[in-house]
Amino acid sequence: MTAELSMLIDVSRCMGCRGCQVACKQWNQHKAEKTRFTGTYQNPPQLSPETWTLIQFIEPVDYDDNPRWLFRKQQCLHCTDAVCAQVCPTGAINKLENGIVYINQGICAGCKACVETCPFHIPKFDHHSGTVRKCWLCLDRVKNGLKPACATVCPTGAIRFGSRAEMLRIARERQQILTNQGFAPRIYGEKELGGQHAMYLLPENASIYGLPENPRKPTEKIIWRWLMGVIPGLAILAGIGSYLLKERSKSEAKTGGE
Amino acid sequence: MDLTRRDFLKLSGVTALIATGLFNLKPLTARAQDLQLRIRYAKQTTTICPYCAVGCGQIVSVSNGKVINIEGDPDHPINQGSLCSKGSALYQVANNERRLDKVKYRAPGGSDWEEKSWNWAIERISSRIKETRDAELSDGRKTNRIDNIAAIGGAALDNEECYLYSKFARALGVVYLEHQARI
Repeated sequence: MTAELSMLIDVSRCMGCRGCQVACKQWNQHKAEKTRFTGTYQNPPQLSPETWTLIQFIEPVDYDDNPRWLFRKQQCLHCTDAVCAQVCPTGAINKLENGIVYINQGICAGCKACVETCPFHIPKFDHHSGTVRKCWLCLDRVKNGLKPACATVCPTGAIRFGSRAEMLRIARERQQILTNQGFAPRIYGEKELGGQHAMYLLPENASIYGLPENPRKPTEKIIWRWLMGVIPGLAILAGIGSYLLKERSKSEAKTGGE
Repeated sequence: MDLTRRDFLKLSGVTALIATGLFNLKPLTARAQDLQLRIRYAKQTTTICPYCAVGCGQIVSVSNGKVINIEGDPDHPINQGSLCSKGSALYQVANNERRLDKVKYRAPGGSDWEEKSWNWAIERISSRIKETRDAELSDGRKTNRIDNIAAIGGAALDNEECYLYSKFARALGVVYLEHQARI
């Protein structure tokens, strides 16, 4: 059993330089996207099959009209209880031993079940390849002893990568420091959805950062998807069975006639 | 085999129970296949980022004479592997479809660019430099400097290229020596 790995995104340390965003594109050889100015530094405006990580620029207007500027690295959180892997009808989405949720591009049929069910809206359908693509925590780099591209490149140490226990220890330390500074920090992903393998250290409420406070998996969708696999399978089997029965009765009728 | 309606319901109930016991809805745990780095066979050399004065170290991976990857050097004391968004995109300086790979020449007063050969361009530049230098040195006074040529460098020259560039300019006697990135 390999050790569980995890990424820790210390939101309080991020300065929004977007080095991670470019490094991700560079390593995974993704194309640039043509975008238009939307009034914010956030560019491209949302995740896409060619953009696996994105810095969200958030300007909350709250108490005493104090303008604030918050940054959050948006990416796949690699949940332990990964809904995408559970609804995948072809088995293309694998939950690996080290915690990484990985979409096998050779098997993915592009049914978009994961796109619909992900509580964080991370997987995106690619119209060119006909498959769904998302962050794979640079599995090729991790397998060969390197850190993921974004964790290597982060200048402020906001993105860290290592064993899950080590990351939790660092997160607790930072949580203590931030608490002393008057924040109410939360380690997002420690227990959410069975524990995520990309955790956030949020200095404030998760909802300000566009994250669900209490992420839940859509269970009814999982059962429905499961039945959608079983029912057609049974139907096909029944079809073959009835066909064979018919053939048999036919041949019996023939032999009976002789 | 005679099946009453009651027997059928009992049987299907038992089958459903067995099925839910056998198939759980938890995600499968799979072993990752052996993934190889795409820079596995590449030759790696170090360089300094050309953009700003921080001077981050980078590793350039070259395969078959082509740059295939540039990333931060974790062993470099200044950046320890990290890079900003601009430095992360350095790969595009080497490989870019919009990069000019032929000499373009626009004659004085001309409005169109024409394509020229490298030989023509180097000869032309050297003869112009000689002309300009001779004009400065022709008044008979002995000076060790050239005031009528300025060297303004390039935006994407790296450390070693800048070194060669300054050596070359100083050999000519140029004193107005500048470069876009002050490294």
